[in-house]
Amino acid sequence: MPAKDALNVIGTRQPRLDGPEKCSGKSIFGDDVVLPGMLCGKILRSSHAHARILSIDTSKAEALPGVKAVITAADSEGIMGTRRGQEPVFCKDITTYKGEEIAAVAALDEVTAEKALRLIEVEYEELPSVENMRRARIKGAPQVHPDKPGNIWSDVVDTYGEPDEAFAEADLIYEEKLNASVTHNLFAEFHVAVVDFSLPDKLTLWTPTQTALLMQHALAPAFGLSISQVQIIHLNTGGAFSGRGGTRPHHYIAALLSRETRRPVKIFAAGDEEFLVCRALGENHYKIRAAVNKDGTLKAFDMDADMDGGAFPAEVGYFGWMAGLCNSWVFPLKGNRLRRRVVMTNTRPHFLGHGGMMLSTNSAIMQLCSKIAKSLDRDPIDFLLQNAIDPGHKGLSGEVFASCGLKECLETVRRESGWEDKYGKLPEYHGIGVGIGAMAAGAKGAFKHDTSAALVKIGEDGFVTVFTGIPDMGQGTHTTMAMIAAEVLGIDANHVQMVAGDTDITPIDIGAFAQRGTIQTGNAVRNAALDARDQLAKNAASLLETSEDNLIFKAGKIFVADAPEKSLDFAKVVYGTLHNDEGRYTMGRGFYNSPLEFKTTSWSFGAQVAEVSIDPEIGQVTVHRVTVAHDLGRTINPLACEGQIDGQVYSAMSQILYEEVLSDDGLYLNPSRLEYKMPRTYEMPEITHHLIETIDPYGPFGAKEIGEGPIVTAGGAIASAVSDALGGMYMHQVPMTPMRILRAIKVKEYLEAAEAAA
Amino acid sequence: MAKHMMTLTVNGDTYDLVVSDTQTLLDVIRDTVNLKGTKRGCTTGACGVCCINNSKGEAVLSCITHALEWHGESITTIEGLAASGELDAMQKAFIEFGAVQCGFCTPGVIMSAKAIVNKYPQPTEEQINAGLAGVLCRCTGHIKVKEAIRQDHGIREAAKNAS
Repeated sequence: MPAKDALNVIGTRQPRLDGPEKCSGKSIFGDDVVLPGMLCGKILRSSHAHARILSIDTSKAEALPGVKAVITAADSEGIMGTRRGQEPVFCKDITTYKGEEIAAVAALDEVTAEKALRLIEVEYEELPSVENMRRARIKGAPQVHPDKPGNIWSDVVDTYGEPDEAFAEADLIYEEKLNASVTHNLFAEFHVAVVDFSLPDKLTLWTPTQTALLMQHALAPAFGLSISQVQIIHLNTGGAFSGRGGTRPHHYIAALLSRETRRPVKIFAAGDEEFLVCRALGENHYKIRAAVNKDGTLKAFDMDADMDGGAFPAEVGYFGWMAGLCNSWVFPLKGNRLRRRVVMTNTRPHFLGHGGMMLSTNSAIMQLCSKIAKSLDRDPIDFLLQNAIDPGHKGLSGEVFASCGLKECLETVRRESGWEDKYGKLPEYHGIGVGIGAMAAGAKGAFKHDTSAALVKIGEDGFVTVFTGIPDMGQGTHTTMAMIAAEVLGIDANHVQMVAGDTDITPIDIGAFAQRGTIQTGNAVRNAALDARDQLAKNAASLLETSEDNLIFKAGKIFVADAPEKSLDFAKVVYGTLHNDEGRYTMGRGFYNSPLEFKTTSWSFGAQVAEVSIDPEIGQVTVHRVTVAHDLGRTINPLACEGQIDGQVYSAMSQILYEEVLSDDGLYLNPSRLEYKMPRTYEMPEITHHLIETIDPYGPFGAKEIGEGPIVTAGGAIASAVSDALGGMYMHQVPMTPMRILRAIKVKEYLEAAEAAA
Repeated sequence: MAKHMMTLTVNGDTYDLVVSDTQTLLDVIRDTVNLKGTKRGCTTGACGVCCINNSKGEAVLSCITHALEWHGESITTIEGLAASGELDAMQKAFIEFGAVQCGFCTPGVIMSAKAIVNKYPQPTEEQINAGLAGVLCRCTGHIKVKEAIRQDHGIREAAKNAS
């Protein structure tokens, strides 16, 4: 007999529904879009970090056969190049970073467009510049923008609880610093935009994105259109890693060129240009203090963050706030203070990276926790368990953690990693470290509403189509949504097809960020499927001669709950609902928004243990094993969840050990996939996954998130493991490159020698 | 820009093409033959998303090889693997083992994986690592990709037949 609450689809290893397309080269990405009459757009970029533009002469470029348009700042009057309107599309008088947009051309082909760029003559008068935060903050330093003295974009202090009191009361105060380098999200798919704005009332943009809605919100006012007149088609998005959160100048430039030429235009960021188009994480400097009692009780944190926002900092300050909050979620603190100072420099505008600033601050906090534990002669896991929050805990800014498996995660990784046999017992230059973390699932608070909506239509053959506006950048959300719809309707997930990625067709969805997909869009799909099921239940109940609430939808059938020998095929009921006098076609509607005011409802929690070794001759770190336990609420698709964990451990390891954009006077020195280092197959550790279910009261079937929690926690675990391998030396900079490890070894040897002499 | 005639066999179909001496094999596959499965990435041979197989089944980075050098040659792109209508064993393994996420590098990774098993029907860990070193997947952490290659249906069949 089918049990009403048993799950048939949720929890199964469901291969991606778009797997066959993606594995056979049939999936369409932005660069695959070719439209009739399409032109190639190219952007001329500033070769100076800071310079006055004395003149721009485009006449030779315009005269080149095959060139259809050349545009500059004069053609983009009143249009700003980001959602918040802080960054211009083209620089007008003064360039503020190397790579800033100066002019653009549209030509019949790429070769002509490139030739035309070389024919544009720009006369510059170089100005003194500041290419990093240290230089930008020197008294009397050149200003990036004349109206921002001291190059400070914003300087905000947030206080939660009573940090002053907590620090005054505490027995011990610990303080450490950590600097994080500039990174690049480096998604597999390069930046690309195809725009058709050849008719005045409709702008269609094909581009990879995490959020079609915010792009509509940015582009519509820029071009005097209504939101629905901007159509975003995001197709497949080839990775995002927090870096595709909105419009960038190239989207506007493609639109301007298309409007000018009355033809579709494609702009593709080739090679090293990718590093200039991207709005990734800038340099961040953190100072973190912790107040602790002798009995090991953590009382408060005080974080002081200097963030390099580049030439146009946009939302960088907000991301610093997120990182400071994130640190406080796992501990029942008395107080938490975060000061976030956003500094402007003559470098590429910064935005966000995979794991955000939460990854680097967690690597600082977890190293600090290991250090505190050591100094109190405590085992780090015991120390974290003593301080870990329980379900129902109320956070300092009013968050209520309705479900929380943090302690279970910690116990799991302690057991599964063999921690007891390893911690403090490993040979020299081998280390083991633990990290914990939490992640909000949902964006309410950042936005007034956090709404996702979905439509479910059921074909007369019983096949189901789900319409959603959420992009799938690889995380598998579309398959997750199909599984949720399939579970509600009691059918096979392979009988569900997804329609997504076209704002003309799909209902509203804020987007795939802030880990909101499973919980917000998942609930929307669940509600839409329930709506459709209710419509079918009416007919099924009359056919089965029972009441509507006495039905079970399972395994492609509709059963009478208290007489399960009586059932009908799902497809037959669907067919019968249409082919009768009423002629009802089944379509379900649903939406979801966090029911809490200005707050999301759910947080994931996790713990990880990493084991590393260091080659003291060359300073190279090898990560051997990472044991991951993640409280995701409910496992919807274990296959996808494991993939999410693997990818995030990879990315955390990459950012903690390898990834760094090097620059000299604002010029990027390693803007390529060969020189910007990341782990290959050789470097990858063995990863074990433990999915901890806590069945969240808000999530669809109790699910929360697994999209960014694991990366934050992995960062902390790997950083503490490296610190442990260095005998407890605190590493003050990520990435921990061989040079920095060697320097730490030298310091360690010096300190040991000094101690031996004394 | 001089133009030249060339013939190229792609997935068993022979094309007569007019190609300029600046065009890469990738340009010809994507823009002239009009197969979009082979991806344009860094265009400098660093990321591997443009990987195809030559007639010996070896991996070739199509973005850094001149089209004209391939006159009279035969190549296989990702579309060629499922030419019969049924997915190839490697493609099936990638789906089954969750080796695909965003999918942008997937064609390049699968063609690299094919090159590995073409050369070593039962590859060792080192042979898999070496064969994948040229494609940069940013989603999967390579783990499930390697699992798929090890579990490739073809390899399992071969192992069964050998025992």
